[in-house]
Amino acid sequence: MKLLVCVKQVPDMESRFKPDSRGVWFSETDLAWRMNEYDEYAVEEAVKLREQLGESCELTVLSIGPDRVGEVIKKALAMGADRAVHVQDLDAAGKDPWQIASIIAGYAKEQSYDIIFTGMQSQDRGSAQVGVLVAELLGFTCATTLVGFAFADGVITAKRELEGGLKGVAKLQIPAVVTCQLGLNIPRYPTLPNIMKAKRKEIAAIPVTELLKEEPLAATTSFHPPAKKGGGVVLEGDVGELVEKVIAILKDKTAVLR
Amino acid sequence: MYMELTEEQKLIQDTARDFAKAELEPVAAQLDQGDDRAPLMANLKKLAELGFMGLNVKEQYGGTEAGVIAFSLAITEIARACASTAVTLSVNNMVCEVIQAIGTEEQKQAYIPKICSGEYAAGGFGLTEPGAGSDPSSMTTQATRDGDFYVLNGSKIFITSAPYAGVFVVWAVTDKDAPKGKGISCFLIEAGTPGLIIGKEEHKMGQHASATNELIFDNCRVPATAMMGKLNDGFRIAVAELTGGRIGIGSLGLGIGLAAMDFATRYTTERTQFGQKISSFQALQWMMADGYTELEASRLLLMNAAWRKENGKSFAKEASMAKLYATESANRACYKAMQMLGGYGYTKDYPIERFTRDARITSIYEGTSEIQRLIISREILRSFAA
Repeated sequence: MKLLVCVKQVPDMESRFKPDSRGVWFSETDLAWRMNEYDEYAVEEAVKLREQLGESCELTVLSIGPDRVGEVIKKALAMGADRAVHVQDLDAAGKDPWQIASIIAGYAKEQSYDIIFTGMQSQDRGSAQVGVLVAELLGFTCATTLVGFAFADGVITAKRELEGGLKGVAKLQIPAVVTCQLGLNIPRYPTLPNIMKAKRKEIAAIPVTELLKEEPLAATTSFHPPAKKGGGVVLEGDVGELVEKVIAILKDKTAVLR
Repeated sequence: MYMELTEEQKLIQDTARDFAKAELEPVAAQLDQGDDRAPLMANLKKLAELGFMGLNVKEQYGGTEAGVIAFSLAITEIARACASTAVTLSVNNMVCEVIQAIGTEEQKQAYIPKICSGEYAAGGFGLTEPGAGSDPSSMTTQATRDGDFYVLNGSKIFITSAPYAGVFVVWAVTDKDAPKGKGISCFLIEAGTPGLIIGKEEHKMGQHASATNELIFDNCRVPATAMMGKLNDGFRIAVAELTGGRIGIGSLGLGIGLAAMDFATRYTTERTQFGQKISSFQALQWMMADGYTELEASRLLLMNAAWRKENGKSFAKEASMAKLYATESANRACYKAMQMLGGYGYTKDYPIERFTRDARITSIYEGTSEIQRLIISREILRSFAA
């Protein structure tokens, strides 16, 4: 069995975000970086399957980005991945989900993976498209927003989170892509000896130009904070007068009385 | 000059921070009540399994081999959540390091893996005596040779983790006629050895979850092979190991100081008085500015001392400077933080009073501020000597 888990490095969500000089994404100055939360669930689930299957199984972690993504790669290696692929790209943030998916698929198509794990979405862009696009590009079956995962006899049993609190169960043939949701598992802490040993594991570096063949399908035109809301309106006067004023405002500013 | 942490150091810092936030912070106030130590023991076991007990210890003995900078970073992150857990970690690491530095191969194999793996919840460092605190060379605990054994008599005080330590590093006088500091040897004594009695636990102002006890030696017989290092050469070792421990305690102080300033600063952005957030008052802004500036200076002093130790350079003066400044800054930060919270800071509903009590000991144990100044000035004067 060959497993792949895709991880993205995202800013700590408690950071203060400012637009970059082009005004199309956030500035990276002074940000602290972490592994995307949903990708941690993906790594944990992939490592658990790796442990279940034993030595006949190999788990590769893949990340796209500049040198700094080495830290999340090392974290995944320390959590139990066997080897890593770093797709070197100084402008990963400027690429749309289609291009990111095509880079991953471009690498994976030569590797005959059986199962690819991704997060349900990234915490920064939040498109939730990369996993399903990878499946489409590779012709793999796919299940999204997993809150339960089991693998036996070549079949994945995936418990999915649906709208409105419902859960669904899907059985998937491999090869497959699964995207992982909060609630699937509790990611382990990487042990310190494993952090140190991760240095000795193979990290293959591939320039993004070798894998990216697609033009973007979507472009971000603006990145800006939400418009500041004005202060509330305080109405004063006696009750009859206030009712008239409220009705007038509701008719004028909203659709509720039209 | 390159001051960026390595990827490994960052990952260790992140792991310590994540663990502290998820596992230690929720139980820190409860541990401070001091009546149930079970959560501390459970967390020590988890921290050992993650590799936090032998950060600067070789892999072959079960250590992490991550270095002194990683050790300092980890202690700071742990202390931001729970100072009692942090001091246990600091002492355990120090005990592992002293065994690694001077133990025989058999001693290293026998004890370091047990502390690193969590089989022993802790290791004890038995130096201080009721009459020998800042002046440890005036100790009176004696080890008398008796055939293939030594017999220890005397007592130690303020021994961290004593009730749950699996092994103690103990210093005792082996030649009472030798000049001061020249007739002391070092021993490794297992918990449960007949004649080794765990005495009363101190009722302390802070760091309640970490036990601090008296140790009594009443004709405690240990095999001659329990001696660590050379006969009558133990005091030099104690001094050397305390120097490394100072980086740990300075890092611990920094963690408490940061926790206090972070909590108080966030509070000022939420609390309103005179119709505005109290963070808009210059008096409080200056407290923040001064508090964080001192803590940043502490961090740099600690990183420098840790870097020097990690790279085999002299670090006694730097470790003392870092310990002195970081722990005193931590105390000042707690004072400011309480001032920023006003009356609420003085109540047990907020953690500032706990931080204040926990910080107070850091400028006392592992060498008082006054001893640090003595070491620093001695090192400085040495370079001016004719």
